Amino acid sequence: MQYFIDLVIVGLSIGMVYGLVALSISFVYSGLDIVHFAHGEIYMVGAFIGVVLFQRLGLNYPLLIVASMILTGVVGVVIERLFYRRLTQGGGGYTVAGMGMIICGFGMSIVLQNVAFLIWGAKPLPFPVSFGMPIEMGDLTLPRSYLWIVSAALVLMIVLHLFLKKTRLGLSVRAVAHNKEIAFLMGINVPLMISVIFGIGCALAAAAGVLIGPINYVQVLMGLGILIKAFAAAVVGGFGNLPGAVLGGLLVGVTESLGAGYVSGSYKDIYAFLLLIIVLMVKPSGILGVEAKVKA
Amino acid sequence: MLEVQGVEGGYGSVQILNGVSLKVGRGQIAALLGGNGTGKSTLLRTISGLIKPWRGTISLDGERIDGRRPDLIVRRGLVQVTQGKEAYPAMTVEENLRLGGYVRNDRAALRRNLERVYEYFPVLKNRRNQLAATLSGGQLQMLCIGRGLMSEPKMILLDEPSAALAPQVVLDIFRIINRICRDGMTLLLVEQNVRMALLLAEYAYVIRDGVIHIEGPAEALIKDDNVRLSYLGGTVADRDHGLTMRP
Ligand SMILES: Nc1ncnc2c1ncn2[C@@H]1O[C@H](COP(=O)(O)OP(=O)(O)O)[C@@H](O)[C@H]1O
Ligand SMILES: [Mg+2]
Repeated sequence: MQYFIDLVIVGLSIGMVYGLVALSISFVYSGLDIVHFAHGEIYMVGAFIGVVLFQRLGLNYPLLIVASMILTGVVGVVIERLFYRRLTQGGGGYTVAGMGMIICGFGMSIVLQNVAFLIWGAKPLPFPVSFGMPIEMGDLTLPRSYLWIVSAALVLMIVLHLFLKKTRLGLSVRAVAHNKEIAFLMGINVPLMISVIFGIGCALAAAAGVLIGPINYVQVLMGLGILIKAFAAAVVGGFGNLPGAVLGGLLVGVTESLGAGYVSGSYKDIYAFLLLIIVLMVKPSGILGVEAKVKA
Repeated sequence: MLEVQGVEGGYGSVQILNGVSLKVGRGQIAALLGGNGTGKSTLLRTISGLIKPWRGTISLDGERIDGRRPDLIVRRGLVQVTQGKEAYPAMTVEENLRLGGYVRNDRAALRRNLERVYEYFPVLKNRRNQLAATLSGGQLQMLCIGRGLMSEPKMILLDEPSAALAPQVVLDIFRIINRICRDGMTLLLVEQNVRMALLLAEYAYVIRDGVIHIEGPAEALIKDDNVRLSYLGGTVADRDHGLTMRP
């Protein structure tokens, strides 16, 4: 029983990270109508920025998260303005420009990997944040890093929710996400808002990177795995649905952890996709998905 | 107030507008009539900046607005209410209205405008916390018009407010539009419901093949044989309205 609980706790905390990345991918998708295939690399860049700030400035952990989010968000805005804007202006989805955007995303992921390789090298960097002793609860020992992941991710999700529901800027973000023409006619500066959305999407991915850093190493190729898991999570929850992304992330995390613990650890990456296939067979739009939007 | 001069434009390489010119004076109600697919919505979208004109000029109060970004045109006081009752269905009525007042930064003005809209459309006030998706067609149209008023525009471009609505609802909405205009709004009204539009408007333009084909004072157009034959075919639906609008 205790083994089971341990596995669930590990699964939930990793699932929070998947959920956060899935959330950021869904957020970008809802705002820009594009699936951003370089988002794993944004997560990687965020983690590296976290490590560098940790080594150079010795910031404390919450500050590291916030600083990396801001810097990565800025990086994202620059990338979007310089490379994506021309394509997204032509429309997303199944348009020719939408297809171009998918290829452009893949290209950007390779570029970012290589840039990171040039700057930080191929060797995995340790991210030795000290969280203090694990918490003992009866028979359970709970490493504080997991607690950090869960609580930081929860805080970010709540802040995002409040931002979208309660602020004027959040209201306009929702408007742009749902219908850009009408948003324009409301007097919203849509091009600017698209940058804001992409920046927030990148900042969320960066937070996930800084959260996972201390329990894994930080390395150039870390974005590949997370992209696939986050996609599985987003699709399981219902693509484009923000609460669905988080739910999907938790499900993928727990499934993976239980599978690795009870079946076999060497097939760890398969469980997420088994879950994905089952969910798609039962409810093709995902658990919280409503309609099949025509977007690519 | 609004002056459109020789505007050409369209989508991609498909030309829809072949040199449209029209004028709407301050406080005036002008109607833009014409059959389906003649470019009425395209013209409104060009004026509001959603699509860029290829040639010609558009000016508001003497200042050129052609080719400007739509949000900047809204800030200058020209608002388009699109065809098809495009409210944000996943937002509440009040959130939709707040969005309409997005360019008004101060809370006092926002609250004042909200009250004004609720006064024109009391039904919206009762449903302020409901999702727009739960509204009926007529209420949605009211929401869209109300949302257009929230930024205190000088002028509104209104695209087919009567489309797909029951006659009684159309009558209600036209009464309120009439009231809004008597309170000082300038209006360019696109309509398929030609009788209704000509009763409300002072001046009217008829567009065909992307150019203004006929224009004149509304009373003259009602009597005009061409207009009568083409657009006022005397359909039963139109006659049943009991056209006594002026309250
Ligand atoms: N987004 C679009 N892309 C290409 N063509 C369009 C688009 N919207 C409308 N059209 C075409 O432009 C013409 C005029 O349409 P529209 O301005 O909507 O007419 P109206 O509002 O007078 O009914 C139509 O032939 C229509 O098919
Ligand atoms: Mg139209």
